[in-house]
Amino acid sequence: MSQLEEIASGLSLLLQNLKCDFAEIRLTQGVGQSISLAMDQVDSISSGEVVGGSVRVLKNGSWGFVTFNDLSNIESFVKSAMDCASLSPSGKSGVAKYSASVKNFSTPFVEDLKSISFEEKFEIISKYNDIIKNSPKIQTTKSIYRESTGKYIYLNSEGTQLSYDRMHCGISLTAVAKDGTIIQPFHDSISGYGGFEIVRHREAMAERVIKIAIDMLEAEPLAGGVYNIIADPRLSGVFIHEAFGHLSEADFVYENESMRKQMVLGREFALPDFTVVDDGGIESLSGYIPFDDEGIAPQKTYLIKNGILTGRLHSRETAFKMNEETTGNGRAIGVMRQPIVRMTNTYIENGPYQKDDLFAAMDDGIYALDVIGGQTNLEMFTFTAGYGYRVKNGKLGKMFRDVVLSGNVFTTLKNISMIANDRQMFGGLGGCGKGGQSPLPVSYGGPHVFIKDVLIGGKQ
Amino acid sequence: MKEIKDILDPENIKSFVPGNYRWFDVLYVSGQSTPISFKNNRLHSINQSQSSGIGVRINRDGKTGFSYTNNLQHVKETFIRAYEISRYCEEEGFDLPGDTKVLFEPFNPEIDNFDPLMEIEQAREFIASMEKDFNDISIDIGINAAKGFVHLVNSNGLSLSYRDSYYSASISTTLILDKGVRLDLWDSKSELRPVRWDELRLKLTDKIKRAITIEKISSGLYPVIFPPQAFGSLLGIVLSGLNGVAIWKGISPFCGKIGEKLFANRLTVYDDPFIEGSPFQIPFDAEGLSVSRKKLINEGVVERFITDLKYGERLGVGSTGNASRGYSSIPSPSFNGIVVEPGDEPFESLIKGIKRGIIAEQFIGLGQSNTLLGDFSANLDLAYLVEDGEIKGRVKDCMISGNIIDLLKGEFYLSSDRERKGSSLLTYAMFPAINIVA
Repeated sequence: MSQLEEIASGLSLLLQNLKCDFAEIRLTQGVGQSISLAMDQVDSISSGEVVGGSVRVLKNGSWGFVTFNDLSNIESFVKSAMDCASLSPSGKSGVAKYSASVKNFSTPFVEDLKSISFEEKFEIISKYNDIIKNSPKIQTTKSIYRESTGKYIYLNSEGTQLSYDRMHCGISLTAVAKDGTIIQPFHDSISGYGGFEIVRHREAMAERVIKIAIDMLEAEPLAGGVYNIIADPRLSGVFIHEAFGHLSEADFVYENESMRKQMVLGREFALPDFTVVDDGGIESLSGYIPFDDEGIAPQKTYLIKNGILTGRLHSRETAFKMNEETTGNGRAIGVMRQPIVRMTNTYIENGPYQKDDLFAAMDDGIYALDVIGGQTNLEMFTFTAGYGYRVKNGKLGKMFRDVVLSGNVFTTLKNISMIANDRQMFGGLGGCGKGGQSPLPVSYGGPHVFIKDVLIGGKQ
Repeated sequence: MKEIKDILDPENIKSFVPGNYRWFDVLYVSGQSTPISFKNNRLHSINQSQSSGIGVRINRDGKTGFSYTNNLQHVKETFIRAYEISRYCEEEGFDLPGDTKVLFEPFNPEIDNFDPLMEIEQAREFIASMEKDFNDISIDIGINAAKGFVHLVNSNGLSLSYRDSYYSASISTTLILDKGVRLDLWDSKSELRPVRWDELRLKLTDKIKRAITIEKISSGLYPVIFPPQAFGSLLGIVLSGLNGVAIWKGISPFCGKIGEKLFANRLTVYDDPFIEGSPFQIPFDAEGLSVSRKKLINEGVVERFITDLKYGERLGVGSTGNASRGYSSIPSPSFNGIVVEPGDEPFESLIKGIKRGIIAEQFIGLGQSNTLLGDFSANLDLAYLVEDGEIKGRVKDCMISGNIIDLLKGEFYLSSDRERKGSSLLTYAMFPAINIVA
C-alpha cells in the first residue's frame, strides 16, 4: 500500500457518515521533472515533488471547500469544510447523484518513465534542440521536455473510491528565426498519457518548426478584410474547442435564461454534414480521464449531431440544475481547485469530402494553418493562425503571416460549407484555461473545413 | 517532524547539503487564504486554503541545480535532488547577496479583520442593487483575503523574511441583449487590507448603460483612447522587450539600443516595487537583493532592462533586483511594478477633443500576433464610439490592429489621471489614428 493509500484508508467511511448532502476528498502525490534548453545552453532543469489534497462539502445548498498540503490531519480539514459550508446556509447548489464505484486505474505505457535515466531524457531533448539550433537564421530556441508521474485518489460520500496511477510526458519545441529586424517565432508541442514512447522519433516535428519559422521571415502580413478560408485540422480543432466547445459547457448556460434560449437542444446550428463530439475516454489523448474530478466516468457526448444541437457538457452541479444526465466533465487542474465544467478531447467528425474537393471549390481565398492562440467571449472569437497561403483557382500561392481571424460564433458555424474526411487530433504540453484554472490538459481536432466570409484583421 | 523555523536555521540547513558546494539558497513560502465565491448572483462556496513549499538551489563546482517540494518531511531529499541535477546545468559565476536589509513588510494587520459574513453581506447588497438596474444580469464575485510568509536563507549568511497580506474583490457581469448580443464586463480591486468596493458598482453600471445601444462603423483610421487596463496590456508588449532574458536571447527589438531615443518624449515608465497601497510590493527580490524604483524609459529614451543574478551576469550588468519566483520555479527577471508618468490633461478633456473616435476597453485575442515585433491585432470585445466628445454607444464586430512600438514613437497623449490595476499604475492613452477593420 502506498503512503497516499494509507492516508486515504478510513476516510471513505468518515465521508459516508458526515451529516451533509454530498462530500468528497481528493488527494494527490507526485513527482515532476523538466528540462529546458535554449540554443547551446541549459535554460533550466527542475525536479520536484508535490503533495496536496482538498475536501469539498455540500450542506443545505452551500459548498465548503478546503485545500491543504499537510496530509497529517485530514480529519481537521473535513471539519473546516463542514464549518465553511454551514456558515451561510442559504445556497441553492445541488449535485446529480451517480452510482458508487470502487476501481483502480493506471496509465498504459510502453516505456516506463521511471526506467529511463535522466541522461536519456536530456539526450533526446538535446537531439531535437540541435536540429533546430543548427539551422541558419535561427536566433534562439526553446526546447522543453516535461514529465509527471503520481497517484490520485478520489473518495466521496456515495461510497466511491477511485485511484489513478498516472504517467504523462511531452515536449515543446520553439524556433525563433531572425533576418535583419524581422523576428519570427514558431512552435509545436506534443504530450499525452503514456511512457517515453510519446517523445521518441519526433525529429520531423523539429524540422517542421524550423522550416515554418524561416519561411515566415519572407511572408508578409495579410491585408485585413473578409475572406473565404480553408482551415487545416489544427485550426478547425482549435476553432471548435474555443468557439463552440466553451459554449457547450453548461455552467455558461444553466442559470441564464437568454443563454438557455439560445442553446436550446434541437436547434439547427450548422449544415447536416457537421457533427461535434467531446470524448474523455480516448486513452492515448491529452484530454483523457479515467474518471472526472467528481468521480464520474467519461463518455462520448455529441454536442452537435448532423447540424443539430444535441448535447452539452456537465458537472454534477449543472446536471442537477438543468435536470439532465451527467457527462463526466467536472474537471479541475489539480486537487487544490474546485471542479468546473471542462472539455476533454473535442473534435469535428469527418465529413463527406476529400481535402482536394475543398481546394477545387475555392476560387479566391486563404488556406489558414496551425494556430498561435485563440480566445472567445462565447459570442465573438479571435484566433491567430500560424500562417496561411493565398488560394487562387484551387492552387496555393503566396505565404502570409499574421492571419488573425475573428467573427461571430453562430454565423461562422452556419458559414461552414464543406467538411473533409481527414480528421487529426492534437494536444501539446499547454492546455485550456477557464475560471483562472490553466493549463488543463485537453486535445482538439478536426478535418479540413471550408468556411465562407471570415473577418481577418490587419491593415487594408 | 521538525518545525519550519528549525529547518531554516542557517546552521541546521547546511547539514542537508550532501557534499561540497560553492553556495546555496532556500526559499520557503507559506500562505493561508479564505476565498468566497458567488456564481450567477448567488453564494456558491466558502473556501479555506493552506499551502507551503520550499525551493532549493545549490551551486556545485560553478553549476546550479534546483529542486522543490511541498512535502516538508522531504526537505533533505530535495537538497539531494538539487545537488544531483547541478552537474547537467550551466556554469554560473555570480555570488549571492549577504547583507540585505528588510525595511518594510507589505502587510497590514487589518487583514485579520476579514469577516466572511460581512463580505457575503456586501456582495449580496451589490448584486441586489445591480439586479434592480438590469433584469437578467448574471454576476460572479470572488472575494479573497490572504496572509503569507516568505523566508529566504542562503549560504552567505543571509536570512530574510517578511509577511504579506492581500485582499481582493473581482466582479464579472454578463448580460445577453437582443439578438444574442453578449455584454461581458469585469473589474477588480486589490489591497493590503479589507476595503469596501461600492465604487465598482457605479463604474460597471455606467459602462453597461453606455453599451446598450450599438453603433455601426466602417473600416478606417480612428482616434482611439485606451483606458488604463487596456493601455497596460499594450504597454506589456513593449516592456517584454526590456526583460533581460529577451535581450540575452537577441529577440528583443531593443537589443543594442539601450540609451537610444526610441519613443516620443512624453513616454516615461518606471519599474517600482513600492507602489503605495499595492499588495504586490516587495521589500527584497526572490534572490534576496534590495529592490528600488528605477526608470525603464525616460522621456522616450530606453534607459535599462531588468535582470536577475543569472542574466545580470550573462549581460555584464549585474542584477537589477528583479528576480521573481515561486517556491517551485527557478528565479527569472520580472517587473516589480509598472508606473507610467502622467500626462497633462485629464481623461475627460482627452475625450472632449475627439470628433469621431473609439474607446477600446476590452479585447479578445490580444497578444496572439508576433508580439516580439510589437504587432497587435484583436477583436474589440468592448469598445465605444465617441462623437463630438460624447460616448454614443458600443461598437462591435470589428478588429483593431497596429504596432504598439511604432504608435509610441509618434503622436499620442497620456492622461493626468491614473489608476492602479494590479501591480501597475497606469494612465489613459490616446492615439490619433489606429486601423480598425469592421
